[in-house]
Amino acid sequence: MSERQKNIPIGKLLRAENSNFVAGCRVRQLDTPALGALVKVRLEDNSDIYGLITNILINDDSLVRQLVSGVSIPTEYTADNRYNRNLPVEIHVLTVGYTQNGQIFHRLPPRPPLSLDELHLCDAEELVRFTSLNNQAYLRHILRLPDQPIEEILAAHIRRARAAHESTGNTDWYEQACQKLITLLRDDYLRLTAVLDVLTDLEHE
Amino acid sequence: MEQKTINTATEEFNRDSAIGYITGGGLEANLEARLTVAPQEVQEGAFVVIDSNNWRFYGLVTDLRLRAIDEQYSNQLNAQRFAPNLAQYLNQQTLYTNLAIMPVLMRDKGPDLNSPDYSIWRRNNTDDPAPMPVKTVPNHHASVKLADEADIADIFGKEDNKTIFRVGSTREQGHPVCLNLDKFVQRSSGIFGTTGSGKSFLARMILAGLINADHASTLIFDMHNEYGPDTTSSDTGSAVPGLKGKFDNKVRLVGLGAETRFGNRNADFSLEISHSDITTEDILQLTQILNLKETTATTLDKLENDFHDNWFNAFMQMSVGSMVENEEGKTEPAPDSVAYWARQAGIHAGAAEALRSKLGRLYNRPYLIDSPASNGLQDIITALQNKRHVVLSFGKFDSELDYLLVTNLITRKIRDAWERATESYHSGNGPEPRPLVVVVEEAHKLLNREMASQTIFSTIAREMRKYYVTLLIIDQRPSQIYDEVMSQLGTRISGSLGDENDINAVLSGLPGRGGLRGMLAKLQPKEEVLMLGWGVPMPIPIRSRRYDQQFWKDLLGEEKPPMTTKAANKALGMDDDSD
Repeated sequence: MSERQKNIPIGKLLRAENSNFVAGCRVRQLDTPALGALVKVRLEDNSDIYGLITNILINDDSLVRQLVSGVSIPTEYTADNRYNRNLPVEIHVLTVGYTQNGQIFHRLPPRPPLSLDELHLCDAEELVRFTSLNNQAYLRHILRLPDQPIEEILAAHIRRARAAHESTGNTDWYEQACQKLITLLRDDYLRLTAVLDVLTDLEHE
Repeated sequence: MEQKTINTATEEFNRDSAIGYITGGGLEANLEARLTVAPQEVQEGAFVVIDSNNWRFYGLVTDLRLRAIDEQYSNQLNAQRFAPNLAQYLNQQTLYTNLAIMPVLMRDKGPDLNSPDYSIWRRNNTDDPAPMPVKTVPNHHASVKLADEADIADIFGKEDNKTIFRVGSTREQGHPVCLNLDKFVQRSSGIFGTTGSGKSFLARMILAGLINADHASTLIFDMHNEYGPDTTSSDTGSAVPGLKGKFDNKVRLVGLGAETRFGNRNADFSLEISHSDITTEDILQLTQILNLKETTATTLDKLENDFHDNWFNAFMQMSVGSMVENEEGKTEPAPDSVAYWARQAGIHAGAAEALRSKLGRLYNRPYLIDSPASNGLQDIITALQNKRHVVLSFGKFDSELDYLLVTNLITRKIRDAWERATESYHSGNGPEPRPLVVVVEEAHKLLNREMASQTIFSTIAREMRKYYVTLLIIDQRPSQIYDEVMSQLGTRISGSLGDENDINAVLSGLPGRGGLRGMLAKLQPKEEVLMLGWGVPMPIPIRSRRYDQQFWKDLLGEEKPPMTTKAANKALGMDDDSD
């Protein structure tokens, strides 16, 4: 796999804190990032901060409002607004781990990344490496998301990760992840059953 | 996968054969343990051990409870809502079974063999410390195991074919469970169970064990002629060996009255009771069955006063209602009449005549005679003192009156003899008396609430232990037996009992009744018994040993050629050296 493929840039950091950060990208770049995908920010000291995409936000502006209230919008106006607009698409990322001296930790990093740091999408190999460790401890971070459709984010993430692991011949990862989620969520009946409903959906795909 | 999750919970868990780990509870309420195997692998009453630091705890499973970490998980069929593998994982993590364990004993097993503290501990405990009643609790997460053969032998002893007698085996794994017969006979004990629960087979086995161990004599009141001679099983129709056939030299078979026969076997001797052996006390003990009045005691006192030992005969010789004319031409009671004696003695004549007529029922008993050819009563006592065992068969005299009269009469004689022997032993004038077990069938007839105050048996149950005499009660209605007697019973072995009152009676005076009640109520109708009480280290439900050829082979070895007289005498302890 080439270095370019490994580091697909998908945006630059807008703001950050230890537990989460937001990157911005152009609409043109939007076909790459997806809900539940594992992303990372490379810091100056060559360490990485990993996160999962939990939300992609497209803000409006006054021009869009005017256009929306117009009777009909010419196609070129729509295209121009989408691809040349000044407002970036916001990619919200939940921090789930970091590396230090080449070792991966499923904890929050000591410091958040800085603005304009570049956000990269992790490839399948890195996804497998990150999610295999520590008995999938990173999954616990997803559970602390406030006011978010956790089950959907989980489903999107698990689906990607499962595919990555199965492409390497590892079918156990998915089973272990399901059990890990049950362990983490079993004290919250409603949340856990919602997650299991989504996972059951996945099984039927 | 579930196993993995549990292993991380504690290091102490994950022993080879653990079935669960302690999660809570205490001494008063039972210990709680979370089961890590299928609930079907453990049964109520299972004997479990719990290792915690230097201690090993021994307990009984008294209940299995289905639990969920949240009721909602158990209230719906997860398999219908979720994918099968997800439902399976969910159930594994949220649904579980808890054991309620009644802790009974604990034993200091010392530090680990390889630990430096071991040698210090061993120096202070040269013998392995004995199990003691539980006084503390194991740690959280201590592993729970089903007791293995060695654990059970640690508590119940290792079968030695003498005093440590195997009565059965644990229900799940079939490990042998023994009874210490020496301890069993130290206090009165009881064998209970409904008809057909195998009660009399169990009694036969234990009696065979007692005779084989030969540390105590046994006197068996065999109301239904089933212990001494060989009989036929009412259930299977197969031959059932009796005690006489197997222990010919040790057991004396005694028939009540001259006529009693046992198939083609004769009695060793027959018991005929002399009128002079009947005391007024014996009559008072029949108050209820003879419907005697309150005045009886006074009348009997007077009779004894006037005629001494010969009172019964003298009284029965008196005529009833005969009159003579005196010098003044008036009719008055004849000098040989009851009324005449009553008048002399200052007793109400009507009361005396009524008593005379009621005692007529006794006078007619063929085994009560004026001057029997031999002193059967004394022969029984001598045989028992000479370390033999006596089976007294009632033959055709199986009415309650016969049973009450004869058992009371013999037992009173025994009490006198053993009290005398004990007193002379204590004053240094005689050998230690031979321990004696009096075996009473249908015990509720002698020990019910009304009778207990009158019969000698309640005295034996309460006080005779210090005179080396104890009772072995065999009964199907323990609730009918006087509470005070029941509470004195050291060892209780009970088969299935249907009636709630009977179950409560068997458990009376014992700790942990709640858990034991369930166990007792759910015993199989056949061949399962619960052993409990003072004589066993801890209560335990067992599958009882079978009374069959194998039993006799195990107990006595292969059939041996008949003994020489000398060897037989030696076996009976009658050779000169033994004293």
